[in-house]
Amino acid sequence: MSALPEPTDGLGPWRQYLCRACGLVYDEGEGDLDGGLPPGTRFEDIPEDWVCPVCGVSKADFEPYAGPRVAPVAVAPSVRPRRAGLVIVGAGIAGWNVAEAIRALDGAVPVTLVSACAGDAYHKPELSVAMGRGLTPERLVKETGHEKAARLGVRLMAQTFAVGLDPARRRLRTTRGTVPFTRLVLAQGAAPVLPACLPPDLCWRINSLDAWRALHGALKPASRIAILGAGMVGCELADDLARAGHAVTLLDRTALPLGAVLPETAARRLAARFAQAGIGFFGGVEVRGLSRADGALALETSAGTFAADQVVSAIGLATESRLARTAGLAFAGGIAVDPATLQTSAPGIHALGDCVSIAGAPCRFIEPIARQAQVIAHALLDMPCAPYAHVTPVIRLKTRALPLVIEGEMTGEGDWRVLRDDAEHLEMERWRGGTRLARLAA
Amino acid sequence: MAQTAALRIDPAPPALPDAAILAATSAIADGPLAAAAARIDHGEYPLPLMADLGAAGALGAHLKGNGSRFGLAISAMETASRACGATGFLMWAHDVCGLYLDQSGNPALEGAMLEDHAAGRSFGGTALSNPMKAFSGIEPMLLRARKVAGGYVVRGALPWVSHIGRGQYCGAIAAVEGVGGSVSHEIMFLLRCDDRAELRPCPVFSGMEGTSTWGIRLDDYFVPADDLIADPARPFIARIKGAFILLQTGMALGVSAGAIASMREVEGPLGHVNQFLDDQPDDLEAELADLRAGILALAETPFETSKDYLLSVLDARAQGAEFTLRATQAALLHQGARGYLASAGPQRRIREAHFVAIVTPAIKHLRWEMARLSRDVMPGGAA
Repeated sequence: MSALPEPTDGLGPWRQYLCRACGLVYDEGEGDLDGGLPPGTRFEDIPEDWVCPVCGVSKADFEPYAGPRVAPVAVAPSVRPRRAGLVIVGAGIAGWNVAEAIRALDGAVPVTLVSACAGDAYHKPELSVAMGRGLTPERLVKETGHEKAARLGVRLMAQTFAVGLDPARRRLRTTRGTVPFTRLVLAQGAAPVLPACLPPDLCWRINSLDAWRALHGALKPASRIAILGAGMVGCELADDLARAGHAVTLLDRTALPLGAVLPETAARRLAARFAQAGIGFFGGVEVRGLSRADGALALETSAGTFAADQVVSAIGLATESRLARTAGLAFAGGIAVDPATLQTSAPGIHALGDCVSIAGAPCRFIEPIARQAQVIAHALLDMPCAPYAHVTPVIRLKTRALPLVIEGEMTGEGDWRVLRDDAEHLEMERWRGGTRLARLAA
Repeated sequence: MAQTAALRIDPAPPALPDAAILAATSAIADGPLAAAAARIDHGEYPLPLMADLGAAGALGAHLKGNGSRFGLAISAMETASRACGATGFLMWAHDVCGLYLDQSGNPALEGAMLEDHAAGRSFGGTALSNPMKAFSGIEPMLLRARKVAGGYVVRGALPWVSHIGRGQYCGAIAAVEGVGGSVSHEIMFLLRCDDRAELRPCPVFSGMEGTSTWGIRLDDYFVPADDLIADPARPFIARIKGAFILLQTGMALGVSAGAIASMREVEGPLGHVNQFLDDQPDDLEAELADLRAGILALAETPFETSKDYLLSVLDARAQGAEFTLRATQAALLHQGARGYLASAGPQRRIREAHFVAIVTPAIKHLRWEMARLSRDVMPGGAA
């Protein structure tokens, strides 16, 4: 909005210059009358003793201004509720499940969903098989956060971090302001654990679509990939990345892949199938450090140095404890919740999904989440509902080299019995006394 | 632990116990400072009162030689800010300048210089608004340094630096440029406001005018090695960042406490109508007590550098600013017209609260920084 219509000096359109100290914009068309510069004064023609009319720094502290820095999309264009309502922290499967469950019961109650990412809805287990299937980030998104929020009539605060919680006054502090709530649901998930010897800017952790998208973008054909940790996520990623044509090395402290979970017979079978699939497995290995040299990564271990183009850590997950801890919520390897109601130690605050611990143990699987969301949605709306009953879910390992189904308690006392072990099938059961505790089929 | 404690050389026991410092600070705050608050708001720079606060031990409790009592330093700032937010801000600027000298490891800055500073016999502030924002990626660094024999030369200009004047000094940071203009690192130094530093008057602000705030222009200002606080500056800033931000919370606590006190003043005559207002003094008092307890707990470990600790410090500082806005607004509503008088405390505190909310790190900077810290670091700059 320049004061003069168009410049006639043949030097092109009026330009703008930004004061780096205070952000004032000098517009050549407008000039600075109080500072003795008539409208139409070109920046070059400003005398050297002229100073910023707001903060007093000199002409040398101005730089060409090309318009506002683009701000990322923050809040879905939904109406901000005028009264405190239900607030959900986390827009993963757990958070969205609760939002859906609430809306199925009540179309009017104000719901705000606070998400550290864009809030796009995707099915997280798919991340472990997506490379091998040639999927793209776009195809993994079932519905964008914006679309989903609009469809459900919830306010989505995207790219927003929850940083503080006052349970007594029912206020959640976020990086976009303080949000009052009548009831709160924590569905913030768990974060990958990264050993101190691995710099985060050199080592991937794949626990979100954003991380997967970034790794997907960084991979070149036939990359050398080292994966640390041969648990379920590590094994699935190794299988998937090998299937996508990459040279995969899988390392673990234990002697065999999934060695901490599977009986030895099954783990050996998995190791053999990995070998057939071209995955190099190294057991009994301790990681010492990671550095970049000559364009490649050097992973130092007790078994020597591995050269890689990408390194992925999959050694485990942990719930971020700061928010819960500083709010005084009981915490035991996860946010402690009542096994029947899923309420935390604070009235009016529930939690579900990867961030909780039930009877002292976390349970980071998809299956229980929908049932947990139902129980919580009913509680939030003061509606009756059968209590939540926790059952160890059936686990399906999506390694195509050796798909596995696991039911029951895998570790503890008892003996594994082999029911079938041939080229096609492996079936085992774990028994103690006259009770079958677990079953495994591959 | 016992062995470590036995081996540690304990600093001399603090000359002044906590209670004595707080009592002397209260006497100044409730007496001459309260009487001068309106004048300070309009431009009187209260150096004599700052000298009194220094003599009372209120400006150096957080220093190593006084037992690193950061909680006490915050409480002293709260006590003064109850009467005058501008003076609370001067105390913060003075306190962090003392912190720079105390943590510099530079004998030329730690001895008599620091003693005079802590005792309020000399005065200096801080010019870290721009560098702190620059380190967070919010704006570019304004001062530029070049290595020369025996030190550096610095040039550039900074807007609004407080608690400085002729013969005073402040902590400052400049980006060091090599040949070709590329920045190798940053230095932190004591900027002496002698005739080599041009001080320019700032535009008039709506309040807190007695903070002696100037624009600084440097033209090949020589920094000798004796005046270096840290080289490189970044590790030093990383170490003191928590303490730097946490100390500011004394202002929020004090201005809020002053606001609540002014609500109580009118409870007798106006309580029958004030009961209909959203915020009541008892509720605010309880919230202030929780906020204070959290801040004093954080002040036990001011040099912690973990992400969780810094997030809690930033959160406490932001919470303090938000709370001060609410408490001062409530106080004016409680006092009504009498609080709106040009000489009244409640309207002055509203402007002080806005200052608490916009001074670096402002609420928006705090949230920017908390978001930055919360994001996962991934290879290739992906997050």
